[in-house]
Amino acid sequence: MPTLPEPLAAILEDPAAHIGGTDATLDLCLDRVLLNEILAARPKDTPVEELLLDPEAGNLVNLHLQVHAPVIGNVRRKISLKPGPAVSFPDQPWLRLNITSGFKMFDKPIIKMVQGQIAEKLPRGIEFTSDYLQLHVPALLTAAGYQQLVPLIKELRLTSEANRLVVRLRIVA
Amino acid sequence: MHPVQKHLFDTNFKDLAGSKIEGTIAISDELINMGIMDFLNGLKSGAENDAPSKPSPAPAAAPPALDTKAILALLEVETLKFRTSEGQAMLEVNASLVS
Repeated sequence: MPTLPEPLAAILEDPAAHIGGTDATLDLCLDRVLLNEILAARPKDTPVEELLLDPEAGNLVNLHLQVHAPVIGNVRRKISLKPGPAVSFPDQPWLRLNITSGFKMFDKPIIKMVQGQIAEKLPRGIEFTSDYLQLHVPALLTAAGYQQLVPLIKELRLTSEANRLVVRLRIVA
Repeated sequence: MHPVQKHLFDTNFKDLAGSKIEGTIAISDELINMGIMDFLNGLKSGAENDAPSKPSPAPAAAPPALDTKAILALLEVETLKFRTSEGQAMLEVNASLVS
């Protein structure tokens, strides 16, 4: 983990002592161009050759995917994802995106390959099936060394608008 | 510099337009003092690095500078109230980045 400035490290060490009394909501709007810059910065050694996000109005996100899968070779898919309910602690720790369309009947090799990549390269707490992608937010924060932040997150929600994804985060310390 | 950070700097954060923050942010006195020391130490180490040294034959490309004026032009502040209470400072804020 990179060395953090001392004040940030102090907040992570003991949030209640340093930011106790905070109650703030951040709506972070991520434009499609920025989202695709983030995806383009992914590690080079993945078999995913193209990965583009296209958020739509009405809470629907399209993911354009091109992968080289065993047996079936190069395939392109447009997967539609619908963000699920907000994460809140401790009752609802999963950030879920339901797959509403995109995978075809014989896409099992693609799904297996993505599952293998997730298991091999990413921390525990990410589940991917033909029906959904879900992230266990406390497990991922803990794996990143930020477990002290988990109880502070009172709401974490993803929504989609035309050409942008909105991340709502409410922190109460 | 990370490519995403570079993109944000190059575009003056315009791809975050519409973002907003609302609420109360509490900061302990200890954290404020830590921040001041961190800032001063940063200035000191910056001054040491600026000291004349052997000229480099091929200087590396400078990272893109942050255009604070352009970013502040995007910032719309509806509320910004500062108050202190025992052992901490409170900031009530309602601000957004406009396009």
